[in-house]
Amino acid sequence: MATKIRRLTLATGWLLVTFVAGLPVFGVVLGLWLSPPISWEQVSVFFTYNGLLSSVLSSLLLSLLAPIIALYVAFTVYSQYRFNPRWQALEQRLAPLLSLPHLAVALGIVYLFSSGGMVWSVLWELFGSTPPEWFGLGRKSLLSMLIAISIKEVPFFLFIFSALGRQLAIKDWLLQGRALGYSESASWWLLVFPTVLKQSRLALLAAMAFTLSVLDISLLIGPNIPELYAVVLYNWQTGFTADEQAMAFLGNLLLLTMLGVLVAAIYTHEWFAIKRIRTLAVMANPLKITRLARIFTAWLGLFSLLTLAILLTFLLWSLGWNTQSPFSAASWSTTLWQDEWFFMQTPLLNSLNIAFFSSVLGVAITLIALELQRQSKRYLPDYVWLLAILLPQLSMVYGWQIAHTDMSASYSTAWIVLSHLPFTFAYSYLVLRGPFQSLDRHYELVAASFGYSYWQRWWQVRFMLLRPALLSALAIAFSVSVAQYIPTLMLGAGRVSTITTEAVAIASGNEQSITAVYMLVQAALPFIAFFIASVLAQRLRGSFDAAHQ
Amino acid sequence: MLRINNCQINTVSGQISLPDITLEQGELLVLTGPSGMGKSTFLHWVLGDEIEHASISGDIILNEKPLNDLNVEQRGIGLLMQDVHLFPHLNVLDNICFALPALSKNQQGKKQNKQQRRETATNMLEKIELGYVAGHFANQLSGGERSRVGLVRALANQPQALLMDEPFAALDPNTSAKVSQWAFEQLQQQGVPSIMVSHDIDNIPAHAQHIDLGAYFHSTSSASHAKRN
Repeated sequence: MATKIRRLTLATGWLLVTFVAGLPVFGVVLGLWLSPPISWEQVSVFFTYNGLLSSVLSSLLLSLLAPIIALYVAFTVYSQYRFNPRWQALEQRLAPLLSLPHLAVALGIVYLFSSGGMVWSVLWELFGSTPPEWFGLGRKSLLSMLIAISIKEVPFFLFIFSALGRQLAIKDWLLQGRALGYSESASWWLLVFPTVLKQSRLALLAAMAFTLSVLDISLLIGPNIPELYAVVLYNWQTGFTADEQAMAFLGNLLLLTMLGVLVAAIYTHEWFAIKRIRTLAVMANPLKITRLARIFTAWLGLFSLLTLAILLTFLLWSLGWNTQSPFSAASWSTTLWQDEWFFMQTPLLNSLNIAFFSSVLGVAITLIALELQRQSKRYLPDYVWLLAILLPQLSMVYGWQIAHTDMSASYSTAWIVLSHLPFTFAYSYLVLRGPFQSLDRHYELVAASFGYSYWQRWWQVRFMLLRPALLSALAIAFSVSVAQYIPTLMLGAGRVSTITTEAVAIASGNEQSITAVYMLVQAALPFIAFFIASVLAQRLRGSFDAAHQ
Repeated sequence: MLRINNCQINTVSGQISLPDITLEQGELLVLTGPSGMGKSTFLHWVLGDEIEHASISGDIILNEKPLNDLNVEQRGIGLLMQDVHLFPHLNVLDNICFALPALSKNQQGKKQNKQQRRETATNMLEKIELGYVAGHFANQLSGGERSRVGLVRALANQPQALLMDEPFAALDPNTSAKVSQWAFEQLQQQGVPSIMVSHDIDNIPAHAQHIDLGAYFHSTSSASHAKRN
């Protein structure tokens, strides 16, 4: 009987984790499977769609360049921080920096550095003049997108390198390099980079897939003519006519093809980069240029400053400051906050509600997935669990939307929670996998020798030691859910509004001050989550202490 | 009394047929031998842990009870390793409380409450003059303190036998000598039969039994070589 119950529990567990981890594939397949009747004429209309080629090329270029720039910057930063006392400060601030929503960073950069942005206005005001209109970043341009995404993805890659670094004998490799007469910075590039690059394929793909199908940032700061491909596709996907549905289907196919191109680009870039490094190594090139990497020691300070500047800009705008008014505290008022508070309550409560449930469920299901693999003594490859961040969101959510409509399902928060779940699950898995797998099994063995049963050990030792990592995972999952735009919009059909959907709707207009209010709230939610998590984590001792006894 | 009969260890490199082992209350057996011969693997087998890279057969009998079919948690055997693995989320006192049997009784014969369990643990620490570390966490202890707390914790569980895997190897020679002498006295006083794996052949206590695994080792390659000849 006990064996039957155990088997049933295991089967239910596997079913649950397969369902959540498999939802992205389900969405993509469904989107391709349920093809509307398509005529050759429609195919021809699709390929001759005005500006399609430019949209596709712009999106491909952006999706390729932004993550690769971020990867190189992140590696340089990592090489400057890893073996010095600043590393701990960076590791501690990494998760909150990572959690800052992309949208807030992107709009913040525009608010700060666009023509008439805060930085230029303040600088010019010092000389009693106003900046010329041509000066600064375009409010909607490919360059603004490229800069925003490149900056925002750096903490993500640092997070990945931090996990990778624990598995590689980097210190020994650097020592070998230095013993052979190379500088430390040259050794990083000649000896460490090739391995790190190979092991960062999934991270690169995740960043590229995100950039390829990101909608909110593309809508707000992406170029207008032609629009980025994600915006074009979204417009087809939300169309009602048979022609638009045909375009949506073909567009989805094209999006997946573009992802394929990016996968090929990852391998091609890797091949070229490693070949080049091998040549440099064979020629015993001292790579003196890598000494310039020292300037990247300022990264943490600069990124923290940028974050503060972004938040401050939103705050000032929300208090009534604008580029036309003089920079004086006398004209500040909280009227906007008081006015907006009435409208903000429902989206705020929805955001909190959805983020709470989807993060708790995401973390819980991650624990189940890890425990099931531990019991079966076989860990499945990471990509199986991370499909939600490796596939383009527009493709998977399109399939979910079809299923949702076919089921005549309601537009309730429960469906939105379910649509956020694959993402909170994937990020929780990314955070928890390392601590869970590397937890020294001897702690549980010692507990077993004291007579504790399997589940007593699991709860009193494993779970307790994982508490700090679980808090981090919860905070990250919470932030991921708060920032979700496409699933909330497409499954909620505008009837379930969150801070993010409202922020994008308002930012699409010209109300910069009201946008700032919503941006500030959107950015504040993850910060609050991380603040609570870090206060709680400081009171707990866990796997980090276990590894540093 | 701990008995291990007909024990045979098979590894990739060879085979060891151990002589039958009998340990009365408070007796100590020291196992020595070259690295990779299976000393630690043998301890983990006795403990009931899963064994990798070797297969071990034999009968383990503790106080006339056969143990082979029991899980680690059912065997009543304690374990002390070089890294004593004090739980980092619990302080020293709570580490010892964690090890105290769940059904520990107070003087009135009733199950101890939380306060009483903590008092019991404090008494154990004070007996060995370590009361001052009660509120410390593992990373706040010196190597010697950690080893002694590890042993107190292992004994707090009232094991019917104790396995020690080079428990004092990480200590400096002076501390190692002091702590090991103290540990052997504790084990003798409490009448716990123990098996210790050690590399230190020169410091085997006079009262201990000793088995050198190397003396019972038959290399697989030499066996097959002999067959071919």
